[in-house]
Amino acid sequence: MTVAPPAPLNRREMIAERCRRSVAWRIIHTLGSLKLALLLLATIALACAIATFYESRFDAKVAQTYIYKAPWFLLWLGVLCVNLFAVTLTRWPWERKHLGFIITHYGIITLLIGAVIGSQFGFEGNVLLRKDQPPTDRLVTSRSVVQIQNLATEAFEVFPFDAAAIRPSEKRPRTFPIPDSTWQLVIDDSAPHLTPDDRLVPSADPAAPAGLALRFSSGMMAQDLTLPLLAGDPASRERDFFGLARLRLLDALPTRLPLKLTESHLILARYAPIVQGEPGATTGVTATLSPDGRTLEVTPPDGRPTALALPATLGRPQTLGGNTTVTPLEFWPDFTLVNGQPATASQSPNNPAVLLRVESPRLPAPGQDRQPTLEIALDGDRLAYQLLRGPHLVSRGTAAPGEPIRLGWADWIATPTAILPHAGIEPNLQPATPAQGGPPGFRAHLRGPDGQTTPPRWIASGDRADLRSPGPDIRLSYGLESRRVDFTLALTDFNVPRFEGTDTPADFIASVRFHDPATGRTRDDTARMNTPASWPGGWLAVTTGLNYKFSQAQWNPENLDETTLQVLFDPGWLLKWTGSLAICAGIFIMFYLRPKKS
Amino acid sequence: MRPLALLLLLLLATATLPARALNVGPLETMPVQEGGRKKPYLVFAQENLIGLAGRTSIPLDGRRQPATEVITTLWLTPEGTENQPLILVENLPLKRALRLDVTRKWFSRQELSTNLPFLALVERAAAIRRANRDVRLTGLEKSADEVAARLARFDRLRSGEAFRIVANPAGSEAPWSVLPPDDPALTALRTAFQRGDFPAFQAAARTLRDTLAAQSPAYQPPAWKIALEAAYTHVHPFRWAWILYLAAGLTLALTSLRGRAPGYRIAWILAGLGLTFQLAGFVARILIASRPPVANMYESVIWVAFGAMVFAFIFEAIYRPRYFLLAATFAAILPLVLADSQPAALDASIQPLTPILRSNFWLATHVLIITLSYAAFLLALAVAHIALGKIILGRTPTAALYNYIYRTLQVGVLLLAIGTILGAIWANYSWGRFWDWDPKETWALVALLAYLFILHGRIAGTWGGFGLALGAVLAFQTIIMAWYGVNFVLGVGLHSYGFGSGGFSYAVTFVIVEVLFCAAAVIRHRQLRGRPSPQPA
Repeated sequence: MTVAPPAPLNRREMIAERCRRSVAWRIIHTLGSLKLALLLLATIALACAIATFYESRFDAKVAQTYIYKAPWFLLWLGVLCVNLFAVTLTRWPWERKHLGFIITHYGIITLLIGAVIGSQFGFEGNVLLRKDQPPTDRLVTSRSVVQIQNLATEAFEVFPFDAAAIRPSEKRPRTFPIPDSTWQLVIDDSAPHLTPDDRLVPSADPAAPAGLALRFSSGMMAQDLTLPLLAGDPASRERDFFGLARLRLLDALPTRLPLKLTESHLILARYAPIVQGEPGATTGVTATLSPDGRTLEVTPPDGRPTALALPATLGRPQTLGGNTTVTPLEFWPDFTLVNGQPATASQSPNNPAVLLRVESPRLPAPGQDRQPTLEIALDGDRLAYQLLRGPHLVSRGTAAPGEPIRLGWADWIATPTAILPHAGIEPNLQPATPAQGGPPGFRAHLRGPDGQTTPPRWIASGDRADLRSPGPDIRLSYGLESRRVDFTLALTDFNVPRFEGTDTPADFIASVRFHDPATGRTRDDTARMNTPASWPGGWLAVTTGLNYKFSQAQWNPENLDETTLQVLFDPGWLLKWTGSLAICAGIFIMFYLRPKKS
Repeated sequence: MRPLALLLLLLLATATLPARALNVGPLETMPVQEGGRKKPYLVFAQENLIGLAGRTSIPLDGRRQPATEVITTLWLTPEGTENQPLILVENLPLKRALRLDVTRKWFSRQELSTNLPFLALVERAAAIRRANRDVRLTGLEKSADEVAARLARFDRLRSGEAFRIVANPAGSEAPWSVLPPDDPALTALRTAFQRGDFPAFQAAARTLRDTLAAQSPAYQPPAWKIALEAAYTHVHPFRWAWILYLAAGLTLALTSLRGRAPGYRIAWILAGLGLTFQLAGFVARILIASRPPVANMYESVIWVAFGAMVFAFIFEAIYRPRYFLLAATFAAILPLVLADSQPAALDASIQPLTPILRSNFWLATHVLIITLSYAAFLLALAVAHIALGKIILGRTPTAALYNYIYRTLQVGVLLLAIGTILGAIWANYSWGRFWDWDPKETWALVALLAYLFILHGRIAGTWGGFGLALGAVLAFQTIIMAWYGVNFVLGVGLHSYGFGSGGFSYAVTFVIVEVLFCAAAVIRHRQLRGRPSPQPA
């Protein structure tokens, strides 16, 4: 060991002495105290632990908003930095044995400064690339913003706001000032999913088409929703009903063939049967009568024969497979025609015959749609409807507003709520269940200086809506902020190799072409799992973090021509990794390379 | 007379059925393509029976049948297997909901596929998943979904489509196919199997295996790999490891704690042998999978036991206090026995890496180092148990013993810090951000902070050796959370490839026992402090 500098008396006494003399040293020793360090370690650990349970219970955004990225937590990390810095000063003058200690503690400070720089000047986001798309210079950040534009003055302002994280409520609304106005935007509810809930509104325009609002309710599904239909353009005439059925508003109901096909068969034991039915259609049912006329054997098109005893089953409908119903109507032991009418010549089974009615649902043609449809035509203040399965009629009827229509789709019931001669559709949204899906969003209204308010309206992420008020009219946009960069990128190829003999992806390989329009430089790179693509690239950019890094983030199993890349631009990277290195090296020096006490 | 003759014939027929466990012989080393790799038939059978029944052998027809026999029966003579109780239904609430006999573990395909409440639950689970692909099922739906997956596996086996044994001449990565049902080699095998003719069966199996191997020799997996995996499966090196550790620990506890005796040397040798078995097991897994053996919970549990043992050997070599070896044998036995006895929760199968882990460099650095830190903390926990145990027994641990805990914690803290930071750097490349409070990251940090808290309190003099020992036990609960809890309890975040379920009651019991143990130690410590310390003789 080197010769220690002439130590003033004793280290401990010297430190006590300087604290007595100077307030500054006293403050430094308080700020750098181990007691404060213990408090910081315990509280930060506890807060982080609680946050993970928050995240499990709610989601990552909530944990970030209330803990990890909350001002108090960041402030607490600031106090940690002060503590770390002060504690190194308390060891002044430094000796060789302090080397590891100082490196470690400064390493943590460096890392935290790097993190601050990264979050302030860096950029995290993603970009969706498609092979057939032209090069793009737009990246989507992970920051949600609200943009409010005053339509009169065109002044606009952007505020960071994430409804899913902040979760505004009527108790805790968020307000934003409207530029060039004394009015405010009030956000007082949020929803993880919003689904379209368009409304039928009367129109003053005499050219506007007639409209119909139908309320659909199902006790089984615990659902109640209203759908509007307009007799105008084809798009508003037809609606899909959850993929379950179709709704169609028509000027007049077309004639449809009934779903039930009815045939009458005269079956003779000794001769071929005589079948009467609809031309060009058949139920496919065949029947034979035993020579004694006591047993009728009926065979549906794809089922097993069923034997019916005669005359016991006369007049009784019998259900066979495939929803086919047969009813033996009449029986003649000794069939003959008297004056053109069927009759029996005797009671002995000389020529037994039976008249059979066959009812069967129409067989769908191969590839034919079996989806149910509700067809409606308006007729003054009433409506006429017919229910179809595939192209065939199941039932028909009329209804006035308030009169329910049994649809026969599970337990769904449709009730017309309004029939308007001239109507329009107002786009609207409403909160939905996770099963229904849809983008997240919030509910907003405008509030004037005197407390007057406009009707509330749901706004979805990625949406733009115009809100009108007696005061200003505004245009409100909500969604992830996008950012333009000074280079372009395009996806030239995307490959998903699979594990042998399976469909499980083994890797994701995106070939990306970067281009700088200013310098004309072009660079091809590939982003695969664990190896990102980067721009501008090169060791200097990579080590300093002044580099855009593109890592594989998401893929679409249905479309292998597109991929989503995560983008990172992190100017704090240099400090982060040097700080990290210092922490590890410092701990090692502290634990294992300390000079032995003499 | 005729009925009697029939009965005799029937008796004769049953007598020729395989009465003892079937040895499938050469079939064991026939490669099968499944789950993204090629594995020996032996491993294929065991993994599939674990997938069906949760075990590598099950009681059937009044005797214990090994996986090879059960799976071969499904393949060659599937008639009637739909009535065999082969499918594990474990979850008690599910059994109650399905009105199944709660005392039974296994049920037949027939019983399940005609159980209307079960079908309704499976349909509901499917509906939930259709609505949201990423949703995590819970409760009955989750358990029913697991059983449905077993049923699907049963059907794949029963229909023969799982037995992909014919190499594809299109390339080494191309999907393999099944044998046509009328293949002569297969027919010979089936006939011999039906007759219960062992020699004929073995001969047919050899013919089948060799015929298949000769078809596309270029695309067959290397024979040594298949042989190695079959041998690894037969030997159970990790089971031998814990048996040897147990022997070492018992030897040490019974003999050498009373002074340096041959017992200490024997314990060294036994533990060394155990470590050799474990090392051999790792080498085998590395060679089979071509990657570091830390890709799932099972592997990390085994690796932690290994790490604890290695650290103990190093410390024991430096300090020779016996405590490390004693502590480590028991610290290693616990995870090894757990891994050996819970094949359903801790999946021992070797699987290809998920894309996100596909980097041997980062897997070997970040994951190995993090799990090594767990190993050091596990060793510290075990040494702390000796110290606290002494206190509970009314004796005062030496300062040296406390120092051993401190030394072990240092190793853990250094490795955890390095491992966590390496993880952040890997995340910077793989996920495109350095640190974003993912639950796994956060819990690694919480654990690090907890141990730093204990070390700093010791430096500050807020607590001494006893506090350190107490801290080594209590802070380990954060490791349990970071290691097991994030994957199995929280179940959120980006480390989802490691998620699983099961063992929750074990984990909670462990935590409660540890906390009670600490409480007992604290009470005893207070009592001892109040008493004048006895002078050592």
